[in-house]
Amino acid sequence: MDPSLFVNVILYAIPIYLTAFTLYAVRAVKGPTIPDSVLAIDSMSYDLAAFMAILSILFKSPILIAVAIVLALWIFALDIYVAKYLESREMGE
Amino acid sequence: MNVSEELVNQVLMIVGTGMIVVGALADLVASIGMLRFPNFFVRLHAATVGTIWGAFVPLLGAAFFAAGYSELGPYRWFVAGGAVVTAFLILLLGPVGSHALARASYKSRAAVPKPLIYDALSEKLKEGEEK
Amino acid sequence: MIGLNTLTYLFMALTSVISLIATYLAVLEKDLIRAVVYSALQSTAYTILFYLLMAPDIALVYVPVAVGLYPAVILFLVKKTERIDGELGSVEGDGGK
Repeated sequence: MDPSLFVNVILYAIPIYLTAFTLYAVRAVKGPTIPDSVLAIDSMSYDLAAFMAILSILFKSPILIAVAIVLALWIFALDIYVAKYLESREMGE
Repeated sequence: MNVSEELVNQVLMIVGTGMIVVGALADLVASIGMLRFPNFFVRLHAATVGTIWGAFVPLLGAAFFAAGYSELGPYRWFVAGGAVVTAFLILLLGPVGSHALARASYKSRAAVPKPLIYDALSEKLKEGEEK
Repeated sequence: MIGLNTLTYLFMALTSVISLIATYLAVLEKDLIRAVVYSALQSTAYTILFYLLMAPDIALVYVPVAVGLYPAVILFLVKKTERIDGELGSVEGDGGK
């Protein structure tokens, strides 16, 4: 089988990812409370890291994979910052 | 390229494509759940689906696919290694972040735990304060 | 059959719209913590744009600064001052208590 066949199958999967990102962004914008928005951005970024790895294969430029690692690490930092802020407010600091 | 190597490459690409497609479907399901679920503590379930099935599985699939994709040349091992590292980082960091956020939003009452029958944690927290 | 280029341009348009909405909401928002969260969404969208425009070096620098350090500094600042942006001397917002 030709490798371009598998690439075509992945090309059909890309619009599904785009729809998922749109829905995550809608929840991140709408989110009634702050943890909702942060959770939506968090999940969206982890999925985005996966999508970036797939795109770096499709673009045939391997250097692009480094962005996925950095994004997954720093979004976790955003999570911890917001959690720390909410908890410190409860302690009455 | 001999025949057996090509066979291994094709098997790797089939497995990788399947995992990427499964990840896409899980992503769609998780995002619909994230949009439709009623409040924050229920949405944590959708975040779990989106993190493990929607990010960890397609990253491993991308690693398999890159390992079998001969058009990338020798750099395909670089792509595969990077994808595996990202996958295991997400496997560690995603649940930790979700738990930290859930604990903070419970303790600071930023989100109300709505479908709640019995709250054992608040009693324990009160006991801890009294001691 | 949709080509990869068309999908890339579609993704760029989508992230541009998301970043525009997030920036608008971050400017208008009175609750400063929500503004930081919107700003993080905008930073994520810009990261995708840098990635799709084939500038991974810019993206590698932009992610730690705009997603990591900038919300940390702003959250530290908001913790030291007031959460709700309003008139002078107002008490700290109830924050859903």
